[in-house]
Amino acid sequence: MPKKIQYENELDAPLFRPIYETGKGFYITVGILMLIILWALIMYITQIWFGLGVTGMNQTITWGFYIINFVFFIGISHAGTLISAILRLSRAEWRRPITRMAEVITAIVLAIGGLHPILDLGRPDRVLNIFTSGRLQSPLLWDVTSITAYFTASTVYLYLPMIPDIAKLRDKGGKLTWFYSFLSWGWQGTEHQKKVLNRAISILMIMVIPIAISVHTVISYIFSMTLQPGWHSTIFGPYFVVGAIFSGIAVLLILMIVSRKVFHLEDYLKKIHFQYLSTLLLIMALLWFYFTFSEFLTGIFGSEPHEMEIIHYKFTGPYALFFWGMLLLNFIIPVIILSIKRFKTITGILIASIAVVIGMWLERLNIVVPSLANPRMELPIGIYIPSLVEWSLFLGGIAVFILGFVLFSKFFPLISIWEIEEGREEGIKEVEERVHSYLPGKETGSK
Amino acid sequence: MNSMQNKIIAMAQLVSFLAMWIFVIGIIIWIINLISISVELQDAPGVSLGISLVAIPVFITLACILTYAYFGFKKNTSNLKNHSED
Amino acid sequence: MPKWAMVIDLDKCTGCGDCIAACKLENNIAIVSPEEANDGRVMFWMDMITIYEGEYPNIRVKRFPKPCFHCDNPPCTKVCPVNATYKNEEGLIGQIYHRCIGCRYCMVACPYTAKVFNWLEPEWPDEFKNCFNPDVSLRMMGVVEKCSFCAHRLLKVKEDADSDEREILDNEYLPACSESCPANAIDFGDLENKESRVYNLSRSSRAYREMEDLGTEPKVIYLQKRE
Repeated sequence: MPKKIQYENELDAPLFRPIYETGKGFYITVGILMLIILWALIMYITQIWFGLGVTGMNQTITWGFYIINFVFFIGISHAGTLISAILRLSRAEWRRPITRMAEVITAIVLAIGGLHPILDLGRPDRVLNIFTSGRLQSPLLWDVTSITAYFTASTVYLYLPMIPDIAKLRDKGGKLTWFYSFLSWGWQGTEHQKKVLNRAISILMIMVIPIAISVHTVISYIFSMTLQPGWHSTIFGPYFVVGAIFSGIAVLLILMIVSRKVFHLEDYLKKIHFQYLSTLLLIMALLWFYFTFSEFLTGIFGSEPHEMEIIHYKFTGPYALFFWGMLLLNFIIPVIILSIKRFKTITGILIASIAVVIGMWLERLNIVVPSLANPRMELPIGIYIPSLVEWSLFLGGIAVFILGFVLFSKFFPLISIWEIEEGREEGIKEVEERVHSYLPGKETGSK
Repeated sequence: MNSMQNKIIAMAQLVSFLAMWIFVIGIIIWIINLISISVELQDAPGVSLGISLVAIPVFITLACILTYAYFGFKKNTSNLKNHSED
Repeated sequence: MPKWAMVIDLDKCTGCGDCIAACKLENNIAIVSPEEANDGRVMFWMDMITIYEGEYPNIRVKRFPKPCFHCDNPPCTKVCPVNATYKNEEGLIGQIYHRCIGCRYCMVACPYTAKVFNWLEPEWPDEFKNCFNPDVSLRMMGVVEKCSFCAHRLLKVKEDADSDEREILDNEYLPACSESCPANAIDFGDLENKESRVYNLSRSSRAYREMEDLGTEPKVIYLQKRE
């Protein structure tokens, strides 16, 4: 008779519950996701068998969904580590229930995004040529290097702060004790170990920020290092980073809202967390608009003919729907919802976040295809219609992301239990002392 | 046997730790290989060198942080093991 | 070191397309199905650019053949992640089909759209298969290919010149397009050879290069009377 694991009397019982109780919903969700992934796999095999001809790409529009989704998924990864690292650095206490989810998003989405260039290759069987005859001078290899660095750093940054929680699960016993023992590295919660952990996390959280920024900057360099009109722009580096953080926060918000509902985490993910995070989303929406406006004002004012061709294609041509749709979803809807207090409810924030995610995907579409459809040489304007294979692989990527998240929630707590405890025991005192140090008067003492 | 399990787990942890170092050293060897190719072909070796000067320290630092944490935790466990009854 | 360049005289070119046909035959270029052609996947190493100018009924059509320009400062070789496209000492931009991983970054980086991709396994009609050029390797699915200035002909000519212990003569090495043009509009030769036709034509007042301001230093020079 398996020992019943006692967790109900824990103060943070809701955080343990998803690990020890599995409802029907879990199996149905995993089942559906695995079917989608199986379908995507079959589609990918047809692509390997028949060639990239099964996609909608053609001469002049030689990059399509795979590169768009590559940029899109890697962009989302900025949510996690960047938010978690910056909030930890600025010692914002409201980060405590958010950091774990954010870091998980980063780790999963980086793995998916990092695979997309391989999906795009005409000869994936030769990908090892990158190791035997690669050129670090190519922006694609800058990408390989920085994404590998970011993936390693964010996995470490996810794993190390998880160790005290894994140790808790190990000590509860009963389920997968060997697994948790293996992962918890002998954590006993001693003073020395806590010091080591805090020091390691402190170094990491500073290191991770420049690595994260470099990743999306380097991805933008893939486009801006070419001579194509609409791509060869110096603004691309910061533009992509801002867009990445923007889409990342939106995905984080969506996952927070969904997990809160599904796992009954209302006590931990409170309204105030959403208020703060959605204010950040609003700021990023404004920043994104500022960059977009600069980009197009410069292009239109300069009126260089090739640039104008592309701008017309976006403003009034075949891509008008996608372009203005992007502005509506990325700027108008989020700004309206998030700046009016009456609309800034959890449902409102969910709508704004979904709008941003779709809008940011459209932004990637608007960057990749119009420049390719309007080549410098006088060739007919290209038409790109993504095929079933490309849509399937896109859905497959999203399914892998959700599956990864769901599986994570089954084995590890979605909210960092030890950090919540730390917040209760030490956080309040520490913040009180800090505020006192800001105010005039004696250094110590709360009288 | 509980202690047998503990020994296997300790061995598995050591193996995974070494695998991490092999991964990092593999990446460094790869980058150095690419630098040597670019020097041989005189194909802008300065760029390769510049990138490696940033990338290699990043990977080494990450590996060192993990090493620090790994041994930092172990150190106390062995102390505890000596002092506890079981 | 010779520096191979091409001069295309647009005042002589009639737009007949003979160069395109000769190129396809010479280089075993795949012939795609009509559906694929509709999707925009025709494989042209030598392409014919058609420019329509003016409003109906005063339309002027300009046609000019566009091979790969074999730039001296090529944007495509800079971005290849595996060194599958490279510039050799004689100024030719080569493509290593067996190394190409099909990432298509070079296609995206080329401002002249000079490269084409094998979206599917290349196919040829049966009649074509009887007259493959044995000097040119057949490409496989998933790799990028482009005009090579018929470099295989250069190898043959070099062998002959070496065995006779002499230099390559002017006009001894000609790509298929140059050889086939019925209007003699395409000249080819060594820019370093101050007595070659190509060198003299390149210094003509009618000479211009496409999109020179991009700094790619293309080595295909067009001759056209300035209007």
